[in-house]
Amino acid sequence: MSFKKTSLLLLVCMLGMSIMLAACGGGGGNDAAKTESKDKAEADSTKPFVLGETPLTFSFYGNYDWYTMNPWGQDPATKWIQENQKVTVQAIQSGGAALQKFNTMIASGQLPDVIWGDRGTDIEKLRKAGKLVALDPYLEKYPNLKKWAGEKTLNMLRSEDGKLYQFPNWYTKRPMGNGGYAVNNKIYKELGSPKLETFDDLYAYLKLVKEKYPDIVPFEVGLLGQGIDFLYAGMAEDRNVGQVSLRAVPQGNELKSLFSDPVYRESMVFANQLFREKLITQDAITQTRDQVKEKVNNGRVAIYGDFDTTVLGTEANSMLRAKDPGSGYTMIWPLHKTGVDPNKVWVNEYDSLGWNVSAITTSAKNPEGIFAYLDWLTGEEGERIIFWGPEGMYWQGTNDKGAPIYTDKYKNEVEERSKLMAIWDTFQWAGNTAFIDGSKAENEMNLPEDKRDWATVSQTAVAWKTSFDATEFGNIQPLPDSDEGMILQRVSDIADKVRAKALFAKDEQEVIALLDKAEQDAQKAGYEKLLKFETQKWQENLKKINGN
Amino acid sequence: MKKSTVLSTLAGPGRKSFWFRFSRQLDLQLMVIPAMILILIFSYLPMYGVLMAFQDYDIFQGFLHSPWVGFKHFRMFFEAPEFWNVMRNTFVISALRLLIGFPAPILLALILNEVMHLRFKRIIQTVSYLPHFLSWVIVSGFVASMLATDNGSLNMLLQKLQLVSEPINFLSIPGYFWAILIGTGIWKEIGFSAIVYLAAIAGINPEIYEAASIDGASRFKKMWYITMPGISGVITIFMILAVGDILSAGFEDILLLAKNPVLQDVSDVIDTYVYRVGIRNSLFSYAAAVGLFKSAISVILLTAANMMARKLGRSLW
Amino acid sequence: MKNSFTDRIFLGLIYALLIIMAFAMLYPFWNSIVISFNVGSDTTRGGITFWPRQFTLENYNVVFQDKRLMTGFLISVLRTVIGTILSIVCTAVFAYGMSKRQLMGRKWYMILCIITMYFSGGLIPSFLINRELGLMDNFWVMIVPNIISVWNMIIFRTFFLELPEGLEESAKIDGCGHWGIFFKIVVPISGPVIATLSLFSAVWHWNDWFTASIYITTEHLLPIQTLLQQILSSNIMSEQMMQTNAAARSHMSQLQNVTTKSLTMSTMLVATIPILLVYPFLQKYFTKGVMIGSIKE
Repeated sequence: MSFKKTSLLLLVCMLGMSIMLAACGGGGGNDAAKTESKDKAEADSTKPFVLGETPLTFSFYGNYDWYTMNPWGQDPATKWIQENQKVTVQAIQSGGAALQKFNTMIASGQLPDVIWGDRGTDIEKLRKAGKLVALDPYLEKYPNLKKWAGEKTLNMLRSEDGKLYQFPNWYTKRPMGNGGYAVNNKIYKELGSPKLETFDDLYAYLKLVKEKYPDIVPFEVGLLGQGIDFLYAGMAEDRNVGQVSLRAVPQGNELKSLFSDPVYRESMVFANQLFREKLITQDAITQTRDQVKEKVNNGRVAIYGDFDTTVLGTEANSMLRAKDPGSGYTMIWPLHKTGVDPNKVWVNEYDSLGWNVSAITTSAKNPEGIFAYLDWLTGEEGERIIFWGPEGMYWQGTNDKGAPIYTDKYKNEVEERSKLMAIWDTFQWAGNTAFIDGSKAENEMNLPEDKRDWATVSQTAVAWKTSFDATEFGNIQPLPDSDEGMILQRVSDIADKVRAKALFAKDEQEVIALLDKAEQDAQKAGYEKLLKFETQKWQENLKKINGN
Repeated sequence: MKKSTVLSTLAGPGRKSFWFRFSRQLDLQLMVIPAMILILIFSYLPMYGVLMAFQDYDIFQGFLHSPWVGFKHFRMFFEAPEFWNVMRNTFVISALRLLIGFPAPILLALILNEVMHLRFKRIIQTVSYLPHFLSWVIVSGFVASMLATDNGSLNMLLQKLQLVSEPINFLSIPGYFWAILIGTGIWKEIGFSAIVYLAAIAGINPEIYEAASIDGASRFKKMWYITMPGISGVITIFMILAVGDILSAGFEDILLLAKNPVLQDVSDVIDTYVYRVGIRNSLFSYAAAVGLFKSAISVILLTAANMMARKLGRSLW
Repeated sequence: MKNSFTDRIFLGLIYALLIIMAFAMLYPFWNSIVISFNVGSDTTRGGITFWPRQFTLENYNVVFQDKRLMTGFLISVLRTVIGTILSIVCTAVFAYGMSKRQLMGRKWYMILCIITMYFSGGLIPSFLINRELGLMDNFWVMIVPNIISVWNMIIFRTFFLELPEGLEESAKIDGCGHWGIFFKIVVPISGPVIATLSLFSAVWHWNDWFTASIYITTEHLLPIQTLLQQILSSNIMSEQMMQTNAAARSHMSQLQNVTTKSLTMSTMLVATIPILLVYPFLQKYFTKGVMIGSIKE
């Protein structure tokens, strides 16, 4: 008996101790942080922070499993920044476990000075807990973000309380994207270069390929069958690929179900037909990126289409051309159903907010200095240095638009340069799409036609022109820990499943039956409630964009 | 009953004699107590975390300030439309692993034991443990390219042998998934798991084998009547532990091998489901509730398995 | 005569089976080695099987140039050696105590141990406690919390229970206590199980990347597997890309081309081969008769 008692007592003690520990970990840090943030807002002096005068050091955390920041000051660009701007950044690495790392940082109250990650959940949580510094006081004092991102984009980034907490990365005012259909030149020529504009043309061409080249994949749709969504975009005017991953279709002022949408249904029936007749790669859903690369790089596909066409296509194109100048790929205008206006087919989408954001936390000792650095980084000088390195290496002087003028070293040292540019890529936290893409295009246009970069040519001629402005649909999805968030998770599962099942269906009737079932299941999960929530958010966005 | 006798020997007739007997075996207790202290610090102190399952845990509020919600998250899990499907898959996959995956390394160890050529044996042993060190990301890449319909080596082989006319889409047909999953698992871990059985075999007294040889026992008989009983203790303990792990049917392997959502009906198990719904969406309490449910079931199963094993004369406690 | 004939068929079958199996297990590894010696851009064309098509040492040059990987390697060796020795000694002593019937409270100790195998408070409470103990950004965080492995204890105990009881009786008469019996008699005849669990423990320590990525911030304290994990994760991100927006996709795919498959393979091999070499070295402890031999001495 006594032993049992002792052990029980021991357990109780342990539990008590641990709860005490929990108390100091969770609650304690909270209030302290809140008062601190207040102080900072008030201590805001009117004199702007000048980079290079006062040294600035801050810690930086990239909230992605795959992100590893290169060591600061070990390469020409950050070395230049360290010497001239006196800025030093200490990396906090996710080490492949971003989610857990992020949670432990919050739980222990030891936040990094800057968090760089996706808009939405994580950033929003920090904001609600009062852990982020509002950027509004600095906006007027530093020129670049305001100038390049513009008021509308900044409005969209504002949180519920009307303040701005997020510094955008790769924001843009003009269309962008990499997706589209690329045609294998060699096969196309050998088959007599038939007309390729409508889905009927596509079907006939794929049939022909299958017959004449049994070992060639007629239509390669890339990782996770991304190219299949292009069929949806081409089935009617002003549909865009993003609606498939949004799981909602706008109709008038409302968002409607994807599964009961006649256009989506038609596209799935068509996809099923192509897949059933083995005109689409049968590994569409399961293949790895390496497998896609292997097929495309060997010219073993007749038509290749996914969201990465200009990326994978460039590598494949140069590999194939090296062996046979007549081969390679050409990006064509997106295919569509007969009768659809080709200028209203959108196989890419972009939004003006760009990719992700940096947020400055209340742990930062000098939030204004950090903002000053990010603002410098997103301006012309900062972008040039972090993208092409310090002046004198790969560029010398600029043209009237601020675009760097490439040196011979840029053209000759391709391998070394690619390595450095990949390193610099990990320091681009405030990417300025308009400036970078514009500068690239300026330089590209100076080259003779056959020397131009395949990606740039394809992008300017096709991809960017077929990119849909989806800014109004940004951030309309609910937070995952809300009721609507749980519904979204379920609807997404249903949507992914039905998309794959429809491909493997044995006939048209089965596709329709599957979509009916999906609609039912989604409704049962609360789809209607989700669509209402998203409709409301969407309408709010429209108001913000229109400047109300 | 047995339990009461254990208790009475523990507590002894009185307090004095307890401490007396305790001090008599102080050196023995000192082997155990430091380790128990480490366990208390590193496993029991953090255990208050399980309370999260009964809260709407907010990471900024911490455990003390998050609201209590009782069994809300447990109910959410039991009432989820995926629940029964997920449970079925978990049990089926685990049962298959127990039935096929569990005996495989034992068989390998027995076979390796029959190999007299020492160098050959060592090479096979070393080679068979290599796959354990390849991460699932790399393994799944190999599996995907081997089973592809387009240029996949297995389909090419089957077509050359004229066994099939059209390539089979192995990774997209639900009927093949369990076989692929269990097969890959065995391939990856068989050599590594066999090591502990080899160690057990090495502990068997060789004189017993010699005696049996003189009696004219065949290799097979020796394997069955000497080697197997010799390692049955280890097998039993591993079996008990495996039964306790029945609700952990796999995670990374399933996530990477069942990329086609078509397979979800046969591939979704508790751990993948919790990852998709709970962890990836930072629903800590939900994930903790499912985790707690799993632990409770595990302990019940383990206790049952242990009781059965006790009848065979071996048990964990 | 009859017996030896069936024996021979039996053996023949076994050898054939083992050779096929060995091939199936060796190939992916061999293929990884081959790819690590092949030019990265050429690898993307596929079709590399048994031999490199365009041989290069470049992938290894990149790995060995990275100073982080070299210090990571040293940290890994250090933590594996210290961690394994400490863990095996402490766990074995613990298990021996637990194998004695006369141990008071044995059943309760065991139940307390087993509970920890199934119930855990999760990462955040552990993190807070390790922080209180001053283990943040400390080399010992990779060792101290893992000294006692309940799973290993159970295996040790199972083996100790199989030992013939008479063995210890003679020592007791000589006046040895439990500690004396353990170190003088039990340890010398437990070669196979000590070797096995040392191997398991070493492999675990070597492969564990997670602990360091949560607790260690100082770069030169990171073990090599944490660094490898960073490279591997950057390669699987394309799978997650679908869920994000267009701008994310385009910029991630630029980042993604940084690490080629060849480079991943060379890093993986550099990080794996050292631990692979441990097993063949330990194999001599698996030979039959180790135990009996030492008893006769």
